[in-house]
Amino acid sequence: MTSHAILIDLTQCVGCHFCEAACQANKGLPADTQLVTLRFNEFTGEDGAFDQGMGRKQCMHCVKPACASACTVGALRKTADGPVVYDAARCIGCRYCMYACPFQVPTFQWDRTLGLINKCDMCADRIAAGEQPACAAACPTGAILFGERDALLEEARQRIVKAPDRYVHYIYGEREAGGTSVLYLSDTPFAELGFPEVGYESPAHANEEVMHATPTVAAGMMLALTGIYWTVKRRNELMHRHPVEFEVEEAEHVAENR
Amino acid sequence: MWQRIGKEIRTMPWGVWVLAALMVFGLSVALYRLYAGLAVTTNLSDAYPWGLWIGFDLFVVAFSGGAFTLAAIVYIFQMHEFHPAVRPTVLTGLVGYGSVLVILVMDLGRWDRFYHFAIFPNINSALFEVSWCILLYTLVLISEFSPVVCQKFGWERLGCLMKKITLPLVIVGVTLSTLHQSSLGSLFVVMSERLHPLWYTPFIPVMFFVSSVAAGLAMVIGGATVSRWVFKRTLPRNLVAELGWFLPWVLGFYLIMKIGELLAAGELGLLVANDFYSTLFLAELAIGVVAPLVLFSFAAIRRSRNWALFGAILVLLGVFINRFAVTWWALKPIDGAFYFPSWQEIAIQVGVLSGAVLVYTLVGRYLPLFEGTVDVERAARIAQVLPAPQPASD
Repeated sequence: MTSHAILIDLTQCVGCHFCEAACQANKGLPADTQLVTLRFNEFTGEDGAFDQGMGRKQCMHCVKPACASACTVGALRKTADGPVVYDAARCIGCRYCMYACPFQVPTFQWDRTLGLINKCDMCADRIAAGEQPACAAACPTGAILFGERDALLEEARQRIVKAPDRYVHYIYGEREAGGTSVLYLSDTPFAELGFPEVGYESPAHANEEVMHATPTVAAGMMLALTGIYWTVKRRNELMHRHPVEFEVEEAEHVAENR
Repeated sequence: MWQRIGKEIRTMPWGVWVLAALMVFGLSVALYRLYAGLAVTTNLSDAYPWGLWIGFDLFVVAFSGGAFTLAAIVYIFQMHEFHPAVRPTVLTGLVGYGSVLVILVMDLGRWDRFYHFAIFPNINSALFEVSWCILLYTLVLISEFSPVVCQKFGWERLGCLMKKITLPLVIVGVTLSTLHQSSLGSLFVVMSERLHPLWYTPFIPVMFFVSSVAAGLAMVIGGATVSRWVFKRTLPRNLVAELGWFLPWVLGFYLIMKIGELLAAGELGLLVANDFYSTLFLAELAIGVVAPLVLFSFAAIRRSRNWALFGAILVLLGVFINRFAVTWWALKPIDGAFYFPSWQEIAIQVGVLSGAVLVYTLVGRYLPLFEGTVDVERAARIAQVLPAPQPASD
């Protein structure tokens, strides 16, 4: 099975918001909930001139997702197909994934009595049926490419090589948080477009290293406690403690230590 | 029977009524929160998905660490002289964990599915480990406390049985505590992109564990003074002093770890950044670690009930700052986002804590909680009869 990914060439994005609308329609989301968001940014460029560019936010579908590592009930999971999927039937709404995500992607249904998480699943059902994700299918300029991750990375590199003046020489998502299955090309520095600066290691690694020490800590602790107990007990026996006259001593002791 | 209950209720101190009122109000708001959802009743948002409640959960679990610390001291290291402190401390732990369990349910979006942690395990999740350990440890605490109830109602055989399995219970309890005290810290290991580097370290579980030992000891020490005021029963002064002796060691170890971690990570420069975070971090260390470390190094302060209480409050304040820093104050702020708890969040928190104190007070009134402790009034009578203790001539 191939690991699918999405490559978004922001230089081709015209800001028509069709991807947002297609996503909402496909998932049947309420009007105020979006799984993909375009954001228009205005800023002062390096040369001091006014500049503008389109930023975009959706689940990055990390190769090693921190949210899946953190989820209390295993409701989040990376599939071999590429998407990080969410099982709403398991979720308890603890919102730990929202803190674990280095891109701060998951949102919560705050206004429901029984709230769940909102998260893009790369239209895993459409992918399984051999279709493109709804956003990619809806994009009129072809800025959203759907395909195999390695092939898309190669495509991105080729585009930079062919038009080095057009692009920032960086593929956002190639290495962020251990690599993601959503990749971006841009003509504007990513930081200006609201893309967070994220380390190259997945936070899931440190988490799992610590968590996998649990059985060792538990066994070590039980052994140590038992060992200390027997050692102290044996020492006390060897010291042959004799009972002493406590009566008066205790009364004095009580009076002194009130 | 009914007359007696009526008399007990009439003679209840006014403080109990205040606690009961706060609890009833808080629990009413809690029911409304379960019905209405989180948006109406809290100021939590996508930028701050956790708030006051999680901060208090971490803090309450930390100071409830006295129960496992003392259990280890008395039953594993067999320093039996500390035995009188066990029952009050186990009860502190029990009401502490009970209140945490209630608040955790408040915090869940799908509170109706709270049991899912048991049937859908994710062994990589710190929160999964924390949930299991807290549940199991609460059962251990109930078992450890059961001899008190058995004694009161004369169920001798059950009481004896529970006492016989004390040692295995303690070993399991201390192990479970080690695991969840540290894995509450592990919660933050995955937040490397979110938590300020002064607090973020892969060793945060160890720091949480050590600070919970300090907070637990501080709770026993400070509690002894408060119990003297409220119940007129308390631990002998030399025992409090000896417990205080442990604190500089624990706090010193904690201080070395905190500074050593910054040194190893090359982050010492952040201490002199002179911004909000450096001030908060230094305040946490100065108030909660350095000041009590110095105070409890003096024998006279360890023996003074009021000074020991003061020192204990400093330790607890430090742990309070630390737990709220990692859940709230030291998280990377998000543009335009601000969090301050709503009155409902505060009312529910106050209500649950009042309930915990109320249960403690009632148990202290009616169950044999303070065996082996000093009865302040009886001790005063003895002191009048006996000659004043002579200073040692050496």
